[in-house]
Amino acid sequence: MVDYTKFELKEKKELAEVLKGKDNLFLLACKKCFKEFEIVEEPELADFEQFAAEHGKTVTGSAKVDFLCNNILTPKLLKSVLPQEAENVFVISCGIGTQLIAELTEKPVYTACDSIAYRGHHGMALTIQRCDACAQCYLNLTGGICPIVDCSKSLLNGQCGGAKKGKCEVNKEMDCGWDQIYKRLKKQGRVNELKNQSIEMRDYSKVNYKFIDEYVKSIRQERLEGYKGGIHPKEKKGFSEHISLSEFPSPLTVVIPLLQHTGAPAEPIVEVGQHVKAGEKIGQAKTYVSCPVHSSVSGTVVAIELRQHPTAGFNVLSVIIQSDGRNILHDSIQAVGDLEALTPEEIRDIIREKGVVGMGGAGFPTAVKLNAPKPIEVVLLNGCECEPILTADYRVMIEYADDVLFGLKALIKASHAERGIIAIEDNKPDAIEIMKSKTRNLENIDVAVVKTKYPQGAEKMLIKNILGKQVPRGGLPLDLGVIVSNISTAKAVSDAIQKGMPLIERVVSVSGERMSKSGNYIVKIGTQVKDIIDYCGGVIGDDVTIKMGGPMMGAVLDNLYVPIIKGTNGIIAVEASEREARECIKCGRCVDVCPMELHPLYYAKYAETENWEGMREEKVMDCIECRCCDYICSAKIEILSAIKTGKKAIREGK
Amino acid sequence: MLITQLKSKEAIADLIKGKTFIINCHGCKEVYFPEYEADKIQKELSADGDIIENITRDYICSTDNLHVQLKKFMDKIQEADTILVFSCGVGVQTLARFLEDKRVYSGCDTYPLPGIQGVTPMEFDCGHCGECYLNYTGGICPITACSKSLVNGQCGGSKKGKCEVDKDMECGWERIYRKLEKLKKLNTLNYPVKIRNYQLPFDELPKDV
Repeated sequence: MVDYTKFELKEKKELAEVLKGKDNLFLLACKKCFKEFEIVEEPELADFEQFAAEHGKTVTGSAKVDFLCNNILTPKLLKSVLPQEAENVFVISCGIGTQLIAELTEKPVYTACDSIAYRGHHGMALTIQRCDACAQCYLNLTGGICPIVDCSKSLLNGQCGGAKKGKCEVNKEMDCGWDQIYKRLKKQGRVNELKNQSIEMRDYSKVNYKFIDEYVKSIRQERLEGYKGGIHPKEKKGFSEHISLSEFPSPLTVVIPLLQHTGAPAEPIVEVGQHVKAGEKIGQAKTYVSCPVHSSVSGTVVAIELRQHPTAGFNVLSVIIQSDGRNILHDSIQAVGDLEALTPEEIRDIIREKGVVGMGGAGFPTAVKLNAPKPIEVVLLNGCECEPILTADYRVMIEYADDVLFGLKALIKASHAERGIIAIEDNKPDAIEIMKSKTRNLENIDVAVVKTKYPQGAEKMLIKNILGKQVPRGGLPLDLGVIVSNISTAKAVSDAIQKGMPLIERVVSVSGERMSKSGNYIVKIGTQVKDIIDYCGGVIGDDVTIKMGGPMMGAVLDNLYVPIIKGTNGIIAVEASEREARECIKCGRCVDVCPMELHPLYYAKYAETENWEGMREEKVMDCIECRCCDYICSAKIEILSAIKTGKKAIREGK
Repeated sequence: MLITQLKSKEAIADLIKGKTFIINCHGCKEVYFPEYEADKIQKELSADGDIIENITRDYICSTDNLHVQLKKFMDKIQEADTILVFSCGVGVQTLARFLEDKRVYSGCDTYPLPGIQGVTPMEFDCGHCGECYLNYTGGICPITACSKSLVNGQCGGSKKGKCEVDKDMECGWERIYRKLEKLKKLNTLNYPVKIRNYQLPFDELPKDV
């Protein structure tokens, strides 16, 4: 692997000169980028400290910083580390780090280093291939060998004639680039192309620093709007976004897990052989943080046994019901009246009794969330659906806008909140339009349009973006007086109140580039994934990964004989990705995209060495597992699995 | 990190000869890749020409990763007459070396990214001059902040603090002066005359991977 280390300490003579007359130093060292990441100390800081001591200087403090040039994280850090008594700041980094620090502090800033010059730039991998970024790619004329970097003289119109035995006359170690070009084109039978090529002139005006700088800055500004980090995977919503909701055929058998929520499992209140009706309660919540479960069909209970949970990775007690095909509703399903007449407590009781949980994935019991121990000001209704491919919430907003609004009003009343905000990403203009027109005359409900960026729908990001507030470390939205709720949850709340209908069916997107027939279906809880995929014509090809949820955070399904649960917003079939992990090269992309402002590269390193203390120091428990780092990793390291390992070890008290 | 711009549609259409296999690289997409424009052009090309496959991968600049990513497409690639790549120059070269017998063409031009050394693109650039001047100049780089990269003070051509080469640009040496004045370090500018050493200390990168 090529080491692209960017800087080295200046010569001692020069350093001594710079240090003259300066004292009370503060030292800031960058931990370097684009080099193989080993957990060893870079020597420059210690060397310089010793040098300063030898010259009788007082060092007031020092800090080693990852990616010193990161102009979002470094300013925050600098505030906390730079002591008042420091008079001179010495930076050990490339020129970019030093310039940034010089701008950030009023104190005089000096560098102890020279940036190492290297010719040509490189991609994300540390390879021998280089690109000089000339803005007028010649590779099409030269068989993919670059005449700018592979010819010492950067000649564009053939060899200089000075090469001897294929070696460059400037550097005898180097192959003549034009010789290489000729050989390759000859091999491809393209020598005539070379001969007939018109004379090329390099246009040096094409590379305009200012143009590029502004260009990239504007793109980045837009991309980083709202909160730091995040990524923009291909949206791929086109497979299913235009397809209206339809009822998925009622299955013959449903498998209803008694744990589909955060908290304690519900306890079964039916027996094998018992006949149940659709909407009848079959599992009861025995503790506060739990949730009842209802039958989604009418029929006979044929078993109550352990079955595989689709996403949790273990077996849970489930009620298996053979449908009688009639879907007769239970007597308890009756409208409970209008919202005005209900008290907040009554609304919460209904929501609890009807088994409503957060339907964005985590499945936290909604009634518990609404009964917050702190005053709630805002209910944020999350219609971002920032996961690629998924279109379930989008279709619900389009087709059940009134129900969603009713649900939001109920959530506001039940939590004693003052107002509600519906957040929608700007890739859903018609949903925005509908919600805006429906809320125009409502004083306490607004629509907030947010940029399309993953993970925009993560509650911490959403709160920061819309309300400008930061959920404290280890805290919850309710610490800021906020409740975040999913669009489908609001619809379920509406159904519970307006129809008396418990949460026994939900909207599921069935989609992805490997799904034969995409669609958005209203599916009964307990329907098998296998039935859904078969109904949609199966999957295409054999390199397919099937996930429950979106491509970013969804759970991979190895077994398709698992049921749809309350939190299932999608069943997707996507191309299986192949990855082979290599050494981390500290490219820093994971730090750049982490919305929680963490340093994910360390998790991979620390999991390897089982350094749980290091994991703790790098705040692994703050990770929201959005998988941005894992997605962007240029070395294809499975960072998320390292994070999960670390969290597990810490939870186990290691 | 590099950023890429599409070549003109005509230029790209000219490259397509026979069966064509398209490879997009989204590795540096978060910095910039003309994703939607490339999509559009490729759709149009598919309508006119013989595009046998269009795939999107990432970090094709990494040789080993490239091999893994292309493994299942090798039959189709062998069948293709042209491989059209939408990536930076590093990606195109890596592919051209891997598929030595194929016409590997680039659909993009590559632009340099300011702040290439660091992790995030930003307003500061580093000229990789190998003899950092920042200690004399209040942390403002004369190589990149002065149009002429002067190392011994202003050229005298600036007007009202603006550069004579680019009227939208502040004179770097005025910025340096103001900064040093603020720091009460103006005497720093009494340093002996500097001569820039254009010899690149690490011109010869090791050739092994």
